[in-house]
Amino acid sequence: MKNTWVLVRRYFSQEVRNSNVLFSLGLYLVGVAYLIYLLNGGGVPADKTWNSLLWIVVFFGAIQLSARSFEYESNDYFYYYQTIAGPAATIIAKLLFNSAYIAVISGLTWGLFSLFFGNPVFNTLLFGLALLLGSVGCSVVLTLTSGVAQRTQGNATLSAILALPLLLPILQLTSVLNLQAIVGVPTGEALNLVASLAALDIGIGLLAYLLFPYLWQD
Amino acid sequence: MKGLSYKITGLLLIIFSLSYGLWTEVPELPIIEQSIRNLFYHVSMWFAMVAMMAASFGNAIGFLTSENMARDRRSISLAETGMFFSILGLLTGMLWAKFTWGAWWTNDPKLNGTAITMLIYLAYFVLRNSIDDPRKRARISGVYNIFAFVMMIVFIGILPRMTDSLHPGNGGNPGFNSYDLDNRLRLVFYPAVLGWILVGTWIAALRYRIRNLEE
Repeated sequence: MKNTWVLVRRYFSQEVRNSNVLFSLGLYLVGVAYLIYLLNGGGVPADKTWNSLLWIVVFFGAIQLSARSFEYESNDYFYYYQTIAGPAATIIAKLLFNSAYIAVISGLTWGLFSLFFGNPVFNTLLFGLALLLGSVGCSVVLTLTSGVAQRTQGNATLSAILALPLLLPILQLTSVLNLQAIVGVPTGEALNLVASLAALDIGIGLLAYLLFPYLWQD
Repeated sequence: MKGLSYKITGLLLIIFSLSYGLWTEVPELPIIEQSIRNLFYHVSMWFAMVAMMAASFGNAIGFLTSENMARDRRSISLAETGMFFSILGLLTGMLWAKFTWGAWWTNDPKLNGTAITMLIYLAYFVLRNSIDDPRKRARISGVYNIFAFVMMIVFIGILPRMTDSLHPGNGGNPGFNSYDLDNRLRLVFYPAVLGWILVGTWIAALRYRIRNLEE
C-alpha cells in the first residue's frame, strides 16, 4: 500500500513536470468544445445531444491520456519498475491516478459545455456522481487496454481499438444516468442505477487487478 | 474417427430440428405468428455462440494458470467458431426483424448487445494478429479474452433486463415465458441448441487440429 501512494505521487509529479502535455490536453478540450460551438452556429443542442457530445469529448480526452499511460514503463524501464514495485501496486496506482485524471477531464468538459451551451443539468449531485462513476469505469478499461497495447510494443492506436467496444456498455449505462440527472430525477429514485454502475466499476476493477499480473511479466 | 458418437448425435439433432421445425404445430401468437419458428434457427445460434465463447473463456483462464500452449489454440479456435455462430444469429435475426418489425435493424438493447459482442471479438482477433511471439500472444490475448467475455455477459445478459425492449421476451412482448409452456416448441428447440453446440464443438476441434499441424 505504501508503494501505491509513492507511485501515485510519482505519476502526478511526472504529469505536472511534463507541462506541455497538460497544455495540449487543455487545448484539446477547449478547442473541441469551441469547434462544436462553431459548427452548431452558436445554438444550444438538445439535452440528449448535449450529453452525447460531452461524452465524446471526454472519451477522446481519456484515450489521449491513456495512450501514454505506460509511456514510462517501456523498454528497460519496464524491468526497473517491475523490480521496485510489483504488479499489484502498479495497477492500483494507475487506476487511482487515471480515475482521478479522467474525472477532472470530465468535470472540466462539463464546465466548458456550461460556458458555451448553458447547463441543462437539473440534479447536479446525480450528474456529478454519474460523471465520476463513468470516469472510473473508463479508467479501468483504458488502463487495462493500454497495458495490453504497451506489451505489444507501443502500438498506440491498438489501445483505442481494444477499448472502444468494451467502453460502450459503461458509457451507455452512464449516459442513461446522466440523462436522468438532466431531466431532474430525484437522487433517491436513481439509486438503483447508481448502485449497478458502481457494482460494474468495482467488478471490472477487481478483474483488472486480477489480470494485470499476467500482463506485467515477460 | 475420434468422438464419432457426439458428431453423429449433433448432426442428427440438427437435421431433426431443421426439418421438424418446419412442420411442427406452433402456438398462434399475435404479431409473431409463423415467424415463431425462428426460435429454432435464430435463438439456438445465440446459445451455441455463448457456449463457444464460454469455452474459449475457460481455456483462456486455463492457459493463464497452466501456460499450456494447447489451451491457447483451443481458446482461439472456440472464439472463431463462436464468431461464426454470431454472424449466423445476426443474419437470421435480421431476416426475422424485417418481417416482424419491418426493419432490418432497430435501436434495441439486444441488437446493440450483439453488435458490441461482435466488435469486442473482432478487436480480440486484431489483437492476436498484432503480436508475433506465440507465448506472449497467448498470454496477452488471454487477458483480453477474459475481460471481454465478462463485459459481453454484462452487456447481453444484464443490461437488456434493465431496459425495455421490443424483442420477444422483454417488455410485455410475447416471448420465452409463453414458449416455455409449450412442449411442442421445446421438443424442437432443446435438440436444436444441443445439436448446434455439438457441431460447434466439432468445428472448433477441426480448427484446433489445423492449428496443431501448423505449429
